[in-house]
Amino acid sequence: MPSAEEKLAQWTGFQQRAEALLRAGPRALRRLRGHEITRLLDDYQALTADLARARSLGAARETVDQLNRIAVAGHNLLYGRIRRREAGTGAPVFGAFAAAVRRHAWAAALSALMFFGSALATFVAVQIEPALGYDLLADEFIDFDPATPENLHDIPSLARPVVSSMIISNNIQVTLLAFGFGLTAGIGTTVLLLFNGIHLGSVAGWMTLHGKERALWGWIMPHGATELLAICLAGAAGYLLASALVAPGRLRRATALKRIGGQALTIELGCMAMLVIAGLIEGFVSPSGIDYPSRIGVLLGSLALWAIYFFGAGRSRNENRAEPSGEKSNSGPTP
Amino acid sequence: MNESVFISTPDHVTLEFELAGPGSRFSAYVIDFIFNVVLIVALALLLYAGGVVFSLRSLFGAARGGSWSTSWTLALFLLLVFLINWGYYVLFEGLGKGSTPGKKRVGIRVIRQDGLPIGLREAALRNLVRAADMLPPPSYILGGLVMHFDPQGRRLGDMLAGTCVIVEKFAAGAQGATGAAWASRVEQGRSREALTLPRGAVSPAQLGLIERFLARRHELSKERRAQLAWQITEPLLTVLGEDRDAVARRPDRAERCEELLMEIIELAQTRKPMPAAAAAKPMPPPGLF
Repeated sequence: MPSAEEKLAQWTGFQQRAEALLRAGPRALRRLRGHEITRLLDDYQALTADLARARSLGAARETVDQLNRIAVAGHNLLYGRIRRREAGTGAPVFGAFAAAVRRHAWAAALSALMFFGSALATFVAVQIEPALGYDLLADEFIDFDPATPENLHDIPSLARPVVSSMIISNNIQVTLLAFGFGLTAGIGTTVLLLFNGIHLGSVAGWMTLHGKERALWGWIMPHGATELLAICLAGAAGYLLASALVAPGRLRRATALKRIGGQALTIELGCMAMLVIAGLIEGFVSPSGIDYPSRIGVLLGSLALWAIYFFGAGRSRNENRAEPSGEKSNSGPTP
Repeated sequence: MNESVFISTPDHVTLEFELAGPGSRFSAYVIDFIFNVVLIVALALLLYAGGVVFSLRSLFGAARGGSWSTSWTLALFLLLVFLINWGYYVLFEGLGKGSTPGKKRVGIRVIRQDGLPIGLREAALRNLVRAADMLPPPSYILGGLVMHFDPQGRRLGDMLAGTCVIVEKFAAGAQGATGAAWASRVEQGRSREALTLPRGAVSPAQLGLIERFLARRHELSKERRAQLAWQITEPLLTVLGEDRDAVARRPDRAERCEELLMEIIELAQTRKPMPAAAAAKPMPPPGLF
């Protein structure tokens, strides 16, 4: 039977060892000898027994708190490694993004319908009712003249890195909003996609109506496939979150959210990587002097690469894994 | 929301965490916001001191003083500002076991719902969807409402990441010995036993009261401490064989009372265990797994 002093020494001893091991990281735990581990487990067990007794027999609040605090340190130490491995937050897997998108193709389709559907509808509407252009567009687009030196093709080369970095930040911000607003049951995501789709459609419609479409498409094509696809997939990530809230099935909504979180995050992180690629093209390739056929070439090239990635990558892996992807190595066309 | 969250571990231990309320979480947010701004301003000043011209105009031609180094530095600066804005929480919480500088200052921490510290994954999930909790920006009304109605006080980002925010309790050394004495006594089967002295008995409730007083006396004001010491000791004086009036008149009454109380605890702890009770309480079997 331990005396009061022995008991206290046991508690504080265990607390100090547990906290030191937690600080030292997982490797320190692996280096422990057999008897040290046995001792650690015995002390943890004795401590948790004391905690249970303190609760059920009504010890002073301070005593319960003290034991609870030590038990938390012990629990984090003894279970931290096990849980970590289960959650599988190990190395990012190249194909995880593609696999997550394929698995939730319905969300991507819904997002594409909202985004490209509204763009197409607006495009047609502007053809039928040209006056709409004045309502939908800012002056810079209405007065856009491809012949002036101030047009989009002519970003001075010194400004290109800055323009590129502004575009990357801005686009990633848009995808983060599309992703986060999924938590408003998808309403925010839908509004964002429609807003961007209508803008795209009205610009394209206006330029086509006034015969300036060649300049516009020439500008958009090199980065367009990557950028618009990324925005669309971020919308899909948002809808994925929304699905957990709107149709949680037999789960509680909070539980459904927790389960889908990893997959949605994988898609969102993949979109960010895509937008870095798109931003570099938009800053350096689109404003460069390359001719129209080369622009079409870049468009087709990037489309093909993304098709190969999304239909092919991550096939052999277990598609159930929800892992954040640090996907960067896709070689989209670079300047 | 509730006051605490209880987490049951696989070995049937219940861990208790005190939940952080909206007040402390908001204070932490304000501190972090200030830190965030300070970081960005410091970065800008650093570049300014290094001779970088913050002018987009200069980039429209070498004739206006632009150079490639300025251009790339500005590009990097803009990216860094964006990264600080969105990455501040992700990196601090993900790498700092759930604490940002603001949270550390307020004494709160993000944990997973199974009681373990969070990693980058949880930090990214709960912070990258901040825009939704902030609706309508920057009021945090939606997040606040969700927090209010959730038993664990989670905002939307917390639900997504499976996390909650708790109050970090720091070690308060004084009561350690009392707790250990209590635990030792309970383990020997003497928890509910009165301390019997020649002139009477000290009840278990009184023993508990004395232990709690001794543990917390250093936190009390001088007057309150003296008053409580007297109130607790007075009914026990006859049991201890002391003269009530003599003690009451002493100039060092409070100190004397505390001495007597410590003697009682000493006596309670050094008693020999009852043989039957000790036998009924076997040691826990060694080895857990």
